[in-house]
Amino acid sequence: MPPPLLRLNQAALMIDGQSIVAPLSFSAHKGDFIGIIGPNGAGKSSLLKLINGTQPLSSGDILLQQRSLSKLSSRQRACKIASVSQVSPPVFALTVYQVAAMGLLPHKGWFDGNTSEDEQQIKLALRQLGLQHKAQTLVETLSGGELQRLYLARALVQQAELLLLDEPTNHLDVLYQHQILQLSRGLGKTVLACLHDLNLAARYCDKIALLHQGQLLAFGSPEQVLTAEQLSRVFQLPCEVSLHPGHGKLQITFFASGAGL
Amino acid sequence: MKQPFILALLVLALMLSGLLSLTIGSASLTVTDVWQALLGSQQNPLASTIVWQVRLPRLLCAMLIGAGLAIAGAVLQNASRNPLADPYLFGLMAGAGLGASIASILLPPHMLSLALAAFLGALFAVALVFLVCMGRQWRKIEMTLLAGVAVSFMLSAISSFILYFAEPFAANKVIFWLMGSLSRTDWGSVGLIAPAVSVLLLVALMLRRQLDALLLSDESAQTLGVNPTRLRFILLLLTALVTACIVAQCGGIAFVGLMIPHLVRYFVGVTAVPLLLGCTVFGALFLVWIDNLARSALLNQEIPLGIITSVLGSVFFLVIMRQRRSAA
Repeated sequence: MPPPLLRLNQAALMIDGQSIVAPLSFSAHKGDFIGIIGPNGAGKSSLLKLINGTQPLSSGDILLQQRSLSKLSSRQRACKIASVSQVSPPVFALTVYQVAAMGLLPHKGWFDGNTSEDEQQIKLALRQLGLQHKAQTLVETLSGGELQRLYLARALVQQAELLLLDEPTNHLDVLYQHQILQLSRGLGKTVLACLHDLNLAARYCDKIALLHQGQLLAFGSPEQVLTAEQLSRVFQLPCEVSLHPGHGKLQITFFASGAGL
Repeated sequence: MKQPFILALLVLALMLSGLLSLTIGSASLTVTDVWQALLGSQQNPLASTIVWQVRLPRLLCAMLIGAGLAIAGAVLQNASRNPLADPYLFGLMAGAGLGASIASILLPPHMLSLALAAFLGALFAVALVFLVCMGRQWRKIEMTLLAGVAVSFMLSAISSFILYFAEPFAANKVIFWLMGSLSRTDWGSVGLIAPAVSVLLLVALMLRRQLDALLLSDESAQTLGVNPTRLRFILLLLTALVTACIVAQCGGIAFVGLMIPHLVRYFVGVTAVPLLLGCTVFGALFLVWIDNLARSALLNQEIPLGIITSVLGSVFFLVIMRQRRSAA
């Protein structure tokens, strides 16, 4: 088996003496689609921030292609890791094309202009995500789903091997939720995605990391992680896990009566 | 194709305006007189002297100051994602005012020139803001803006106190100086402002991709390999130094740094390269005509630039805003 693309080795985050992410270890191989699940405040987004470098590690190490991320400059890191997070529309009127073109930044020096290949790459990314006809549209006029697709297009232009998605299905209707996850899976990248919807995680992820109060409670295939006992304990609601009659993936149903409502 | 066309048109307008404005002044010179003086074939030595020693340095200063303030405004607005950011946000004007007040009222005459005192005062204000915002505070751009406002009020209060007790003539001198004028500018001013504005423009163009990345959010820029704190520090320092140089030479010229970038955005867009180039040319063009108006509107008297820029600029801006709204 080839070495993992990403390996977290006792990676931890402490802020003001409080443990946000307890030392945790897991690996992601090339092409893996890994879901990070857990209740609010479990440390999902913080974990992604540790990996993309917006939050420095308190202890442990994170290796990308067997090289410690701490030894990479922020630009080198950006060439390898792309992030898609919730961003509100910009204050000034940027176009779809201009935002996608930002993905070129880590590959360009102070005096480098855009080549015709760069232009082609941007157009290709927009086409892949169905935004080619909106290239000159202002970002502020896009719908939530289009905005997410745009940030995915920017990540494609960035040409990173690892893609970090922070709650990519938030604020999207059902159609766009599936569309975004199918698109992300189809890009051929290694993906780590924080997901709130456990059924989406069960359907699209190869592996799942279950976080609770900053600790990694379980890591493995959806069948290994998404057990009724484990989920009931973490989410403090009784639940049932069954097989979906249509697509055959796991299906999780929570019973709200246990919430004291 | 739209952006280069607009920029080329602005450059042409700037060149023609420059030539025309060299003809404006108390001594009447024709375009031919000016042209001959510029080429060195002018037979009348007085005309040559007027063009080369009086009008040309003043024209170049108008262009450089207009361009410099507009570039500084554009850089600050994009870097802070705040449409209200202004080159004077560090309390620069208040600092320059305090410096000027101290030099002309408290210190013995001729001990410190007004321009140098204003420059030192402006630097003092910047240093105060930077000192307050050192460390973690840099990460929050709102803190920098608020610190600038607070420093501005503090230094203005001290200036007002000094002016209140000063003899009226000295106080008037400072107040008129603060309203802005290019009448004291010469080749020395050109030599001082030209390198400062050029360095700011060059650095901002070099950092164009980083500046554009900041337009979304700091975190988004970080994931593209940008260090927002460091980038902002470099840009704020440079814009502060350029603005301090400008304020020291010509007092306060409102509007240019705040509004010109917005007008340019309407026509060429928000990304760094067209915005900075557009601000350079349009800022220069705007101030050349404002200075022409200041020199020629009243007989034998100049109107302070700051008054005209504020009045004309704000009316122009409101008209454009209204047109855009009805177009939308």
